Amino acid sequence: MKIPISHKATRRNQRWFFAVMIVLFVPCAFYLKLSYSQFADGVGRIPDIVKQFLQISPEDLPVLLRELLTSLIIAFLSVVISVFLSLLLSFLIADTTAPNRWIAKGLRLIVVIVRTIPTTIWVLLAVASMGFGSMAGVLGLLFPTTSFLIKSFTAQIDEAGKEPVEAIRALGGTWWHVVFNGAIPTLYTTFLALIAFNFEITVAETVILGMVGAGGIGVLLQEYISYYEFAPLLMGILVVFLTLFALELMTNRIRKRLARGAR
Amino acid sequence: MSSFLLEIKGLTKKYSAGTIALSGIDLQVKSKEFIAVIGPSGAGKSTLLRCINRLVEPSSGSIEFAGDRVDQANARELRRVRSQIGMIFQHYNLVNRLSVLENVLHGRLGYMSSIAGMFSRYSEEDKKKAIALLRKVGLENEMYKRADELSGGQKQRVGVCRALAQQPRLILADEPIASLDPKSSAVVMDAIHRNCAEQGIACLVNLHQVDVAKRYASRIIGIKNGKMVFDGPPEALTDHHAALIYEGKESQMYQQPVGEEPQDRRYA
Ligand SMILES: Nc1ncnc2c1ncn2[C@@H]1O[C@H](COP(=O)(O)OP(=O)(O)OP(=O)(O)O)[C@@H](O)[C@H]1O
Ligand SMILES: [Mg+2]
Repeated sequence: MKIPISHKATRRNQRWFFAVMIVLFVPCAFYLKLSYSQFADGVGRIPDIVKQFLQISPEDLPVLLRELLTSLIIAFLSVVISVFLSLLLSFLIADTTAPNRWIAKGLRLIVVIVRTIPTTIWVLLAVASMGFGSMAGVLGLLFPTTSFLIKSFTAQIDEAGKEPVEAIRALGGTWWHVVFNGAIPTLYTTFLALIAFNFEITVAETVILGMVGAGGIGVLLQEYISYYEFAPLLMGILVVFLTLFALELMTNRIRKRLARGAR
Repeated sequence: MSSFLLEIKGLTKKYSAGTIALSGIDLQVKSKEFIAVIGPSGAGKSTLLRCINRLVEPSSGSIEFAGDRVDQANARELRRVRSQIGMIFQHYNLVNRLSVLENVLHGRLGYMSSIAGMFSRYSEEDKKKAIALLRKVGLENEMYKRADELSGGQKQRVGVCRALAQQPRLILADEPIASLDPKSSAVVMDAIHRNCAEQGIACLVNLHQVDVAKRYASRIIGIKNGKMVFDGPPEALTDHHAALIYEGKESQMYQQPVGEEPQDRRYA
């Protein structure tokens, strides 16, 4: 007999997991009426679409760039406002700095609720109340961005430990001293890295959210798609890709530098 | 108002987990006393010190510091009391990203408004005094280094300076040398002892090492299971007493003798 080597319970779990997945897959495929012929048709059309795409035209470039700038500004504004809001709220929520346990609990609950509602819904709500445009974009992004930052900030504040904070408290410092002289200097670089990361995500989100009417380059892309204008669409996608790529490189660089400065 | 700097009556602390860390501690401290608190791990030494400045909330009992009832103080009064009590921590509790000088100047925050403190508007007078303190402990060349660039012994000297910058009437030191090697330990203990003596500051220092306690203290307090089991001058603490305090935990009695290399390190 061969000697078994794996952990029994783990192996059993894995088998169950795959069995359930396969059993569920079949009815799910029927439910959505996934059909092979439709798939084959689609694949057959790919060369045609690629051909249309390849007629990339720089004609719309100026418009695209202008709308891209709008997108970036929407992202920037909502991140800046979110940073201010979340900085204040995080220190009210984090265990080591919260002045009042019950206020902290209440705020934490609100943040959880805001986070469970997807960004798209927030923007749609903002569009519904503000009308189409950049204003709705900034307002709609504010909620998810702030709650994301609050969650990251509070985790970092608690992570940093209560030691420096406790020292400031012990020598008679006020809550503001505890936050500004004890906690923020300790967390400064971590916070900057988080903000850079958040800006990157928010720009990507703004592009997509433009498609639901939040202003920026997404609006333009949405129009191209609905009129089957593949040539400027490809140009637009290229512009977005290059922007996000450059942004990613930049924030990575910032984060690396901050991490090095931290030690 | 009592004639003591610090008067503790019937201090009891029960943690929410159910542990009774202190039960019925009575303690009077006169100004300029240098008191070592000894006792085995978990005896309640840290809890006692933290109850005095209410980093830990006492469950019952009264604490009077310089005529103020600490246990009944509101937020503002508590700040005033804390500003007159320096604290030195085992893990230094410095703000790592700030300069050594800034860390020492933090000792002045208790006397400053929120706004002035937030924007680090320390007076030139305070800065001069902070630099003088650093010079006294031999750290004048490290003044502008980041706190986390220092060695453990240097960090603790910064901690001592921060406490002294408060110009306190009492210093609470919770195992200030427990994370240090024997040489640094001696330097730090000397710094605390000398400055307290010179400036007439009373000091309560938690120590694991009985021999260090005997060397520096003018009075020794033994705590075991949350009760005070010894209170007297160091001469009165015989080996017999020490053995009683550490009964069942003798191995903790002579850790890290100060000023000499431990046996096992000598040939390392
Ligand atoms: N935050 C806390 N919550 C619950 N129990 C605690 C807490 N802090 C301390 N205790 C308990 O209270 C008792 C006394 O702890 P304390 O830290 O005061 O002892 P100590 O004499 O300082 O010990 P050591 O020499 O190890 O530092 C211990 O039983 C400990 O487990
Ligand atoms: Mg302790």
